[in-house]
Amino acid sequence: MQMRAPLQIQSIIKAMTDVVLPAIDPDNKLAQEQARLVLGSLALIAKQLPLQYRYDCDELARLEAFCQSLQSLAQGGTETTGALAALALELREAGVQSASPEEIEQRVRNLRQLSGAVITAVYVDGSSAARKDVRAAVLAMSKEQVLRDRSWVLSQGWEGDPKSIPPIEQLLGIAADVPASV
Amino acid sequence: MRAERLELAARGGDFRIDKDRPSPEWIASLRRRFVTETEIDRVLTRKMQRRSGPGFAPLKLETLVQGVDSLIRSQFSGDFQITDARWLSGGASKLQMAFRLHWQRPGVGADVTPMVLRMEPAESIVETSRLREFQLIKAFEGVVPVPPVFWCDAEGEHLPHPALVYGFAEGVAKPTSGVGGVTGIGTQLPVALRAKLAPQFVDHLAKIHTFDFSGKDLSAFDKPSVGTTQCALWGVNWWERVWEEDSDEDIPLVRLCAAWLRENPPLLDRAVIVHSDYRLGNFLFTEHDTRISAWLDWELGRIGDRHQDIAWTTSTAFGHLAEDGKTFLTCGLLPEQAFLEAYEQRSGLKVDPRAVHWYKVYNSYTMATLLFATGYRIAHNGKTHQDVLVTWLMGIGYMLLDEMRELIEGAP
Repeated sequence: MQMRAPLQIQSIIKAMTDVVLPAIDPDNKLAQEQARLVLGSLALIAKQLPLQYRYDCDELARLEAFCQSLQSLAQGGTETTGALAALALELREAGVQSASPEEIEQRVRNLRQLSGAVITAVYVDGSSAARKDVRAAVLAMSKEQVLRDRSWVLSQGWEGDPKSIPPIEQLLGIAADVPASV
Repeated sequence: MRAERLELAARGGDFRIDKDRPSPEWIASLRRRFVTETEIDRVLTRKMQRRSGPGFAPLKLETLVQGVDSLIRSQFSGDFQITDARWLSGGASKLQMAFRLHWQRPGVGADVTPMVLRMEPAESIVETSRLREFQLIKAFEGVVPVPPVFWCDAEGEHLPHPALVYGFAEGVAKPTSGVGGVTGIGTQLPVALRAKLAPQFVDHLAKIHTFDFSGKDLSAFDKPSVGTTQCALWGVNWWERVWEEDSDEDIPLVRLCAAWLRENPPLLDRAVIVHSDYRLGNFLFTEHDTRISAWLDWELGRIGDRHQDIAWTTSTAFGHLAEDGKTFLTCGLLPEQAFLEAYEQRSGLKVDPRAVHWYKVYNSYTMATLLFATGYRIAHNGKTHQDVLVTWLMGIGYMLLDEMRELIEGAP
């Protein structure tokens, strides 16, 4: 298949830059702003698209480890017990091996939601020790994940010190000379 | 059993809720679970009841002109004419149209008044009450600089959606030769300019927080009880409800944040008006005399805790380092310690660092909710005139999530 997204995105960016943007009424501020946002978004998509699958697999692996740790850390009453049971059921499902990109994404979503329910439940009927342990685990897991999230959108330009954020390829363990879409 | 399932859904444990077509039972369960101010409840309930309706359709200027004409006619008996209607950009939440009104202005006589229509899209990144915004700005006329506000279409009886008509305020949000991004975030001011703006910036906040609002019409606001945690918990309920209503992908850190906020709410020591978005980018100033000419964006204002504003204003998202590369400037205007000292001196009110810290966590929760939950839902359903901007802004949320994590980690 020759007609793939990277070429299409590149062509759209060129058309927007060379033809569409110069033709927009300079007094139409809303249209001017949105045309530039379209260009910025397309450039971001072009960078993210080849890495999306690796990104999701990376998150899933760490999320599973986090959820396993919750199984032992989160202790409490009926709310916590019920939330843990739902999480345990999900964890018994198939792992990363041979899963499609859509399945990986769905599994990430499920574990995010079910672990979130455990956190809420522990703060409803868990002991103070369990709350403390769960809090520490969530903060540690989030530190790793948010660093990747920040790197994922680095080219948007929000960061005050962008050099302090490692490139996403490095965080995902992808060598610079290896194609990302393995 | 159904009631139990709905309560479970409200705690994030049920995948089967269709948030794009919310059932009356689910809406009712959220209202029961998250008790907040009456007007906030009304606006959020209206949002959910209308969610399954159409997305935002491009509007013609003529449609809005007709709506404004109808609104003015319903409240002003004299002759008038609307001319020079044009679109305005700026801001991520509301649709804005500038125009001129030729009329016999009360107390002035024949006048051509530049005005702005500020109207909600089908669903906004921040769903708020136009009536609250109208009442708050009216209350502050003559206290701090605000744009004149003329008419309010609170329920969208005249226009396609609820709207306000303001007088066009003179001034700029950032220097015409300066650097800045969308919504004013990222603006950097020259040293001489910030030296003139900073004292006004602090002085106006002190005036807002010490303003006696007892004689003003603020019927769309509930006043929280002093000496209790009611103010803090109304706030958490407000935003946790929005998270439940709007979120798609869950975020464990955001769950932890809500739980932490509920575990540590501060007592309210004094009920004041809180602007809730007091920062660089939300005021205009006139460049010829460097005077702040109008405070904008009052839509999130509430009767609450002054520490909410202080925490918001000192957020790292709205400031930057000074030329020395070390000193962080609050809102790009002055060092944080100097800001706090000047605020205490001008207002006569103490700043409690623990309360500020709690409200910093609270504000990060608010931002995460708006950017990730509401931002997703409204773009997903095509509800605004600038879904592309809303989606773009989601990217700033990850930096704010990291700030949330550090704040909870470093909680006193």
